[in-house]
This record gives sequence, C-alpha cells and structure tokens, in this order.
Amino acid sequence: MSTLTIEESPIDALLREQQQLQTPVARFSVAEQPASPSSCSMPRQAKYYRDLIPLSRPGEDEQYAFEVDLDKCTGCKACVSACHNLNGLEENETWRDVGTIHGGESSSPYLQTVTTACHHCEDPACLNGCPVLAYEKDPVTGVVHHLDDQCIGCQYCVLKCPYDVPKYSSNLGIVRKCDMCHNRLAEGEAPACVQACPTEAIRITTVPKTSGQKEAPRDPIIPGAWESSYTRPTTRYVSEKKIPADARPADAHSLRPQHAHGPLIGLLVLTQLSVGALAAALWAPTETARWVALVLSGLTCVAGLASSVLHLGRPLKAWRVFLGLRKSWLSREAVVFGFYAKLLAASGVALLWGGWPWFWPLASLALLTGLVGVFTSVMIYVDTRRQYWNFRDTMLRFYATTAGGLLVAVLAGGFFWALPLLGILVVGKALAEKRFTEAHRQNPESPHYRTARIVAETDAPLYRHRVRTPALLLAAGLLLWPVAPWLAAVAAAAALVGGEVLERYWFFRAVDAPKMPGGVQP
Amino acid sequence: MKKDPLFPKRPDKASLLREWTGPLTNDLVQQPGAFGLGQLPRRLDVAATTTSICGFCGTGCQLEVHLNKEGEAINLSASTEYPVNLGMACPKGWESLTPLEASDRGTTPLLRDARGEQRPASWDEALGEMARRFKKTMQEHGPESVAWLGTGQIAVEEFAFLGALAKFGMGFVHGDGNTRQCMATAVAAYKESFGFDSPPFTYQDFEESDCLIFVGSNLCIAHPIMWQRVMRNQRNPDVIVVDPRRTETAMAATEHLAIEPKSDLTLFYAVAREVIHQGWVDRDFVAQHTNDFAEFAAFVEPYTLEKAAGASGLSASSIQELARKIGTRERVSFWWTMGVNQSYEGTRLAQALINLALLTGNIGKPGTGANSITGQCNAMGSRLFSNTTNLLGGHQFTEAADRRKVAGVLGIPEERIPQQNSLAYDQILEAVGQGKIKALWIIATNPLHSWIEQNRFKERLEKLDCLVVQDMYANTLTAQSADIYLPAAGWGEKDGTFINSERRIGTIRKVRKAPGQALADFQIFRALAHHWGVGEMFREWTCPEEAFQILKKLSVGQPCDFSGIRDYAHLEESGGIQWPWPAEAESEDGKVPAQRRLFGDGKFFTADQRARFCFEKPRPQPESPCGEYPYILLTGRGTSSQWHTGTRTEKSDVLRKLYPRGIYVEINAEDAQKLGLQSGDKTLVQSRRGHLEASAFVCQTVPAGKLFISMHYREVNRLTREDVDPYSREPNFKICAVSLKPLR
Repeated sequence: MSTLTIEESPIDALLREQQQLQTPVARFSVAEQPASPSSCSMPRQAKYYRDLIPLSRPGEDEQYAFEVDLDKCTGCKACVSACHNLNGLEENETWRDVGTIHGGESSSPYLQTVTTACHHCEDPACLNGCPVLAYEKDPVTGVVHHLDDQCIGCQYCVLKCPYDVPKYSSNLGIVRKCDMCHNRLAEGEAPACVQACPTEAIRITTVPKTSGQKEAPRDPIIPGAWESSYTRPTTRYVSEKKIPADARPADAHSLRPQHAHGPLIGLLVLTQLSVGALAAALWAPTETARWVALVLSGLTCVAGLASSVLHLGRPLKAWRVFLGLRKSWLSREAVVFGFYAKLLAASGVALLWGGWPWFWPLASLALLTGLVGVFTSVMIYVDTRRQYWNFRDTMLRFYATTAGGLLVAVLAGGFFWALPLLGILVVGKALAEKRFTEAHRQNPESPHYRTARIVAETDAPLYRHRVRTPALLLAAGLLLWPVAPWLAAVAAAAALVGGEVLERYWFFRAVDAPKMPGGVQP
Repeated sequence: MKKDPLFPKRPDKASLLREWTGPLTNDLVQQPGAFGLGQLPRRLDVAATTTSICGFCGTGCQLEVHLNKEGEAINLSASTEYPVNLGMACPKGWESLTPLEASDRGTTPLLRDARGEQRPASWDEALGEMARRFKKTMQEHGPESVAWLGTGQIAVEEFAFLGALAKFGMGFVHGDGNTRQCMATAVAAYKESFGFDSPPFTYQDFEESDCLIFVGSNLCIAHPIMWQRVMRNQRNPDVIVVDPRRTETAMAATEHLAIEPKSDLTLFYAVAREVIHQGWVDRDFVAQHTNDFAEFAAFVEPYTLEKAAGASGLSASSIQELARKIGTRERVSFWWTMGVNQSYEGTRLAQALINLALLTGNIGKPGTGANSITGQCNAMGSRLFSNTTNLLGGHQFTEAADRRKVAGVLGIPEERIPQQNSLAYDQILEAVGQGKIKALWIIATNPLHSWIEQNRFKERLEKLDCLVVQDMYANTLTAQSADIYLPAAGWGEKDGTFINSERRIGTIRKVRKAPGQALADFQIFRALAHHWGVGEMFREWTCPEEAFQILKKLSVGQPCDFSGIRDYAHLEESGGIQWPWPAEAESEDGKVPAQRRLFGDGKFFTADQRARFCFEKPRPQPESPCGEYPYILLTGRGTSSQWHTGTRTEKSDVLRKLYPRGIYVEINAEDAQKLGLQSGDKTLVQSRRGHLEASAFVCQTVPAGKLFISMHYREVNRLTREDVDPYSREPNFKICAVSLKPLR
C-alpha cells in the first residue's frame, strides 16, 4: 500500500514563492536594529540640509518663513511627494503644490515652476475666520498651526485662505494643512520638502514681521497670487531673473468649478426665507394668515439650521462655535441664528398663549435678530474678499431671498395680489443675473470672466433654464390665478425657491476661488 | 544625551474648550525615526529598512524602503548614501509603492473565449494555451512566424531568462524591446564609434564639467536627479541647452540655443568645422586614439557657420561661440536624450556629438564625454542581456565563437542559438502586417499607446492569430487586445538587478506580495519553460540571484565584464557597481570605487582600439510642413510626475494632481492670435495619419510654426509617422507635419 501524498504543482510552488517576503531579520535588510546612539543623533540626510534651516529661534519681531529660490526650482515636484510620504498623509492629500508661471516674448520666453505650501501668514485669514479657534499662530516660530481635534470641518478656512492651502478630507471630516514640519524643525531637522528638494530650492529663513509697518505690502508674492495685504504671507520667492510683466499662471484660463455645498445652499435660502416669512407674520391682518406665515417661518428655520449641520465634518463638536465670536463671521452667524431660532419659538409660544400683545414685541425682536443674522451670512462671504461675493451683490442676493420669503408667506395667507410682486422679484433677479453672466463671459479682463463662463458654459444645460423655467412657472401662475389661485401660488412659490436654490448653487460653484499659480490645466 | 528642542514643541493637552491633542492629531504625530531616517509618523512604525533601485527611469536612484515586522513595505524615502541620488528622488520614485496597490491590478490570467470576451483562467490553462498556439503556429509557418516585444522595465535576470527561453528554449528567431523606441540610436552610435555599446560617463561628470551641452534633453523634468548633480557643480560651468523649445532645462541653463527642429546635424558639423579651423583640435588624442579624422575634416568643410545659421535659425556668432566653448573650455561634456535618439538620422547625430568629444579630446577624463542619458530603469540591462539585437552579454549571433561561448556557459547545444539577427521592432510589425508573423508576445510594455503611427499599428495587430500580453495591469490599451493575458508582479514584488545610465548595476527587492495570482516575470518564464517542455534546460534558473551568477559568466571577456561582482550583497555594500568590474579587477582598499568612467586610457573597444569618426550628409526631414499641414508637431515628456504611457503613474492620486488632466497642445501666442485661439479652447490637430482633439495652451515657449504635445497622452501617436533611422531603426517620434484648427 502506498501512502497518500499531496504533491504541489509547479504553478502552486511558484505562487507560494511569490507570496513569501523576507522578514526584517532575513539577509536582505540593511538595518534591522536601530543604529547606535551616536549615529542616531542626527538623521543621515542632515549633512545635505544643515545649511537650509535656521539654527536659532526667531527673535521678538521675527518669524520663520519658507524661501524659494526660483532659479533653482525646475519643476521636479519631489517636494510634493516627499511631504506626502514623510508626513504620512492620506492617499489623495497633498500639502504642497507646484505650479507654473509663463510669459515673455517669442525671442525671450519665460517659464518658471513655483513650489508652494502654506505661507504661514502674519495675519492668517484661516485663523481669523475659524469659528472654533482651531488655528493658532505659534508665538515663537510664527508657524500657523491647525488643531486637528478642535476642527469641526466647517471648511470656512478653505474659503478664507486666498492661497488654497487648507485641504478638507471628507474621510476624516476635518481640514489639515502644512505646519512647516514644526516638530522636525524643533529637533534641528529640515521640513520634508526642504529635505527632498534635489536642488536646494526651498529653505527656512527667519524674516522680520511687517506688522510694525504702517502699510502691509500689497504686491503679490508671485504673479497670479492674491494681493499680500490681505493676510501678509511670509513665503519669499527670490530670483535673479527678471520676471516679465505679463507673467501669468499656466492655469490662469482654466475654469475651476468649486464645491456647490448643498447644505449651505439649504442653510442660506431657508433661513432667509424664514426671516421674510416672520415679517409676513408680523404684518398679517388675519389670525390665520399670521399662523400660516409663522409656521412657514418656523419650518424653514428648523430645516435651514438642520441643513447646516449636514455641512459639518464633525458636527458633534459644533457646540464650540461661539469661540470665534471676536473675529469670525461664521461664529456670529451661528450665534445670531441660534438666538433667532429661540426667539422665533418663543414668539410662537407667545402667540399661542398670550396673543398679539405678547407676540409682537417678541416677534419684532426675532425679526430684527433674523435680519442681523442674514447680514452675518452676507459678511461670511464678503469677508473672503472674493470678487463674486462682494458686499453689494451679496446683500442684494440674500435680502432678496428674504423679501421672497415675505411674499410667499403673504401669498400663503391667501393674499394673491402678492403674486405679481413675486413674479417681478423672481424674473427680475433671473434677468439681472443673466445680464451679469452675458456681460462678463465676453470679457476676459473682467474679474467675473471665469465665474460667468462656469455658469454659462460648464453648466450650459442648467443655465438655459435659469430664466425660462421660473418665467414659465410664473406665467402658468398668472393664467391659473383666476381659476385655481392656490395652484397659482404654489407655482409662484416653486419659481421663487427653485430660482433661489439655483442662484445659490452658482454662488458657491461659480465663484472664482483664488489660489497660487497651478500647472497647465486643459 | 538628548538635546533640547530649538523652541517649545506643541502643547499636548485637551480641555473642555480646546483640544491640542486627540485621535486626529495623533494620526500625524511623529516620532524620532530609527535607522537614521529622521522624524517619521508614529503610525508608520519602521521595523527595518531595505533598499531597492527605483523602477521608473534610467537614473537609477536608490530608494530606502521602510518595512514593517512582516517585511512588507509601508513607506519609502530616498537613500542618502547611494552615490547616484544622495538622498533624493523625483515624485515618481517617492510614489513607487502606490501603483502596486491599484485596484485594477491583473490578478488572474485571462483567455479570450469564443465570444471574444476575456475570461479568467488558471495559469496552467493560460500557459498551456499559449504553448499550444505558439507551437502550432511555428509548426505550420516556421520559427520566424512568432516574435516577442519586450521592455526596458524588467530586471536584468528576467531579460536574460526571457531572451534565452524564447530563442534557445522555444525556438523564436525574432524579438525586440521597447528600448528600440528610446536607446537604440545611442547603441548603434556607440557600437560604430567605440566598438561596443558603452556610455563612457559617471554621474560625477555632471559636477566636474566646465561646459555641459545638453542636446534634445529636458533633464530638469525627465531626469531631475541628474539635474541635481548639474546644480552641485562648483566650477561655474556653461550649461548650454540645444532644443527647439524653451523647456524647464533651457530656462535653467546659462544659454539656450533654440534651433529649428532637425537642423542639429548641420549645426554640429559646422561646429566641428569651426573647431578644426580655429585649431582647437586635440591633435595628440586624435592622432593616437582615433581613425578617419582626415576624412571627417574634409567632410565638414562645406558646413560653414553661415550654412548652419541658415538651417538652424541661430546667428553665426552664437554658433561660433558654441564652437569656442567646446574648443577651449577645459572639460566639456555632451549629453543627449530623446531629442537626438528619436530621429530619422539619430545615429549620425549622436555620432556628431561623439565626434566633437573625440576632436577635442573630451573623453575619458573627469567632466567630459559624449554621454547618452538612458530612458528606462533597465534599458541598459536590456541592451546587454535581452538577447534581441545582441546575443546575451553583448555577443553576436552571427559569430560562431560567441555562440559557442554562450552555449557553453548555459550548458545548451550550440545549434539552439540562432545564427541570424532578429528583426527590429518596426520590421517585426511590418512582418505582422504582411501576415508573416502570426503570434506575438508582448511583455511589460504598452505599444498600442507608445509605438509610432498608432492607427497603422492597430491595423497590423488585428492580423495576428494570437496576441499574448504580460503586464501588471489587464486594462492597458494593449492588454485589452490580448487573446491571452498573463498577470505580472511589478517592481517591489520581485528581486533582481537593474543597470542605470552610468552602467551601475544595483539590486531591486521584493517588499510586497503580488496581488492574486500575479507572478514575477521571472516566475512566469519558469512556468512557461515547464509548459513548453524545456524546464530541464533552465533548471539552474531557480531564482534571480542564481541567474545573476550565470550572467556574470556570460560577461567574462566582454567590455561589460562584471564577473568580479560577488553577489547581490556585494552590490549592496558597494553602492552599486559600474561595469566593467572583472574578476581580476583590484582596488586599493578592497572596495569598488564609486565613480568610474571608461576610456581613461584612450583605448576603445574596436579591433584596433581606436574610436572612429562617423558622419554622413544630413537628409531633409521625412515630412516637412506644407500648406495643408503647416505646423511641425514636436513631442516629448510633459512633467516629471508622468511616466511613459501612464499605466503606473496614473494610479497615484499624488502624481495625477501634478500633471495636466487631459491632452493639451502648446501653441505660440503669435499663431494662436492668427487663429483667434485662447488657452483652454478646444482644437483639432490633424496629420496625414490621424487626428486628435486637444485643448490649446497658448505660450511663448514653443516657437511660432511649431506645436508641442506631450507623449503621455494616448492620442498623440495617431499623428506621428513611422519613419526610422536606418542604422538604429529607432522611430522618428519627434517631428511630423500637422494642421490645427479651433473647434467651436
């Protein structure tokens, strides 16, 4: 009798071999024990970067800064990858970027790659905007730190930073950013990008603070970057070559539609409608109309605030949102609308139990708070200094929504004379925006050129409906008015809400978000 | 003793209102790195490190791979002590591990079924089918009815195994590699001029040269770690870039000579004439170490400065100045890449640079040389051991003595070695088109994207009875057309050696498990040998390191003799070893010197040990612009974060962020204005062979009348035209005539 043997086929043997790795104790590993203490004191690479980092801490009126020698930066982009690896970032997360500026004449073309990370600004917009104080400027080094565990993932810093530095991770629910490898510098090691630059183009220097100066420097740190007076960036780009006057980023032409932020669209439109409806409740000549308007106001308010929570990456920590009140319009908005909601609820209770005499003072206070709340909403965006979000236009947009809320609530109370007024508001707004878009999309010099092109070209199918659909709905409303007034009211309300949602969609999506020069983008 | 930090570290606390620490903060917290690596994230705790040569370009940087306790790679950095890269790597190197993790890796062999669908199969089925179909084809149509197309990306041992298995085991006659697309011209030029394919330089020459002349090379983005060496040069050198475009390298150079495309041969003949006329020739060197100088001097006589100025668009004085620098600077080095190699007269052009080095005695000394910079990580290994153009180890198929030697070393009957040379890549494809070659095996390359004149290539491929593709990914353009797909392990999943541009042999390491059933190419060849029934012939090829010992023996007595290398460990200890390092080589301290160049003794590898001046009258470009196709299309590398057809680099989020998302065409502002074009506008670019749509990028870096499209986009080779250099048979990728019109 032969014994049963299980023989491995040649392929199985090869597959088994393929899955075998040499463990660290096997012959191939160069080092398996930590090196001796003496050789461990400094990393091996230190001999190459020793001269690229400061050996002392900054003085009173100084801070650390990146200095990039453009004449040495030739576009290898190793800094981006090295930062990614040595800092253990997420798969798609990068804290550095390399762009290109170009220009000049045919006879003397100019081309320059530009490596960029956080500029550790003296007056950091991210820090100033953060509603929960998740940013800190290091008192000694001037490095702008982000407190990852403090962050609630509101992404306002992403909107505030004119250099597109903070990066939001939907996976982590927070923003992260470059900290100049603060801990490495503390130990006398170079930041990852400095270590990894083959041509020693990046170094850390100590720079004097400009805050003592009367006027902040205005010139951008590199052509195509935001005017420096906003945040006082500290990175210095140096070059012995003359940068031609027409030098511009390689991606200057590219349309970069931004995140549309659905929950924020909901927050803005709904809270603004709510404030308008509350005004209608105060005005309403009948008890029914008052209740209808108040319920409408309450429902939109609750839905709006609920929507805002969906926007946050870490909503459970959002209760700290008042911490930034001193500087952050986002904190102010959250606090003011928090009060508004409570006053609105109190007004409802007052109307139910105490009637008009109790109601009107509370509701007036709520209305005033709501109107202030809308103003804080406006300022959140104005404070980013983005052109599309300028004060006048944003005020008009947001308070027009409030007015729309008022008219819808009036309609809902059965006062159909509001219908044509609503029609004028809706169609007027749509036409005004269309005019704006058409005017600016033809003019490459306009600050709204790219905004208008995103609206009209990138989103062409939607754009075709911008005026047509609300107008059709309103026309239907006007026709239906004599026969089915309530149906007409619903159509008009839908035209208003649809129009406002679309306007707010482009408000976020089509804004020309400032950034550092990027690479060619088809 | 632990020294104090330079300034206070970050607070490490959390209160009700502020959290300076917590799980999210800890995700990035660093700890002092062991192994001299510096601070690293605590999450990526390093249990050990090992080293591996990077698997992208021919620079040959060494990466320090961080391993966990299981010996699996978790991260990597660049090796500080390796003489090639001094602790640096380009973004591709830093991202080397990412392409291995791609979700679309091939994990099982695929067979095309009767309905034309690729279906998973076992290795035994797939290899059995491959053996059956190839054998049947060879029985019916003879050994010349099959061929393979290889690569520059697999290990030396794998090249040798593939070449030996295919030709000696399976009986193939024809095989070639994608190195035909990049280095063939340098090979042909060196062979004829020096007697052997022998790039003479060492990277230290970048640092020790007084005048570096880069021709058709965008070193800054194609070989950034070599540019690092240029920047380390302390001799205040002239850095002269000859290129039609104002590239990153042209910007960084001290001088840019923006010549008309393909006027280079005339230009360098005129420079040679000027050197001769001004008496800058190194008479002693020329007399003692070269042949045919008189003929060369007579030949260049008609190439006056004016003639070259007319052809190149440069001023006569700037050409004169170039000649003066070449003639008078103490150490002059000439460097070229694809702008020279990928040309219809590339061999003569490379030799025009070699001639200048010979004329001025700029060879064999520090900071000198006529130096071809290699494209792929192991193109140099392929040049010696792919068994395609050369018999293993730089031998000749046509030489009986060479066949006898190789047969002896391998222990195989001499008659198994073909006595004829392989067809070259383009000739193989022609034979495919003519129906002469009916079965093709493609290994680790993506020619459906990379080969010139794509539409013609596609038509030819359709005539095959059987196409086998062996690759890391089953979804490359080429693999999608395969009848049989074999899933290969990639760099990082296997051991072996690479040879870099400066002839340095270094090791690669298995630091990851291959996904699914993917096998290292070496293992696939072992399995295929078994299925073909020639397993016994390759019984000694048990693992790459054993194969390396065989290769050492094959190299004995050749210019590339590296029989003095003990084993992989020897390579590790020495920081890689440049060939030659014969068994009899000696050094003072027993260590192999880190930087060695060839021809220090002025002895070349020709029969009479003299280098030859090789030259020929320039020919007009095969396709000149005309009324219908008024632009010259230039092609080349786009960014440092892209590699060839992108099958690996497109798998990395980080690398993808660093290159343009889609195809774009660079056009001069003057031309753009005439067409009313702005950056970002869509355009239609057409040649006589095909068309593509690309977004315009209006700039000044491309001269008027020229366009540039990066080769990394799969559409570009629809436009190019299949002309080849007659000596190297390398395709003329760099120029063709096209039209461009705005798409509205």
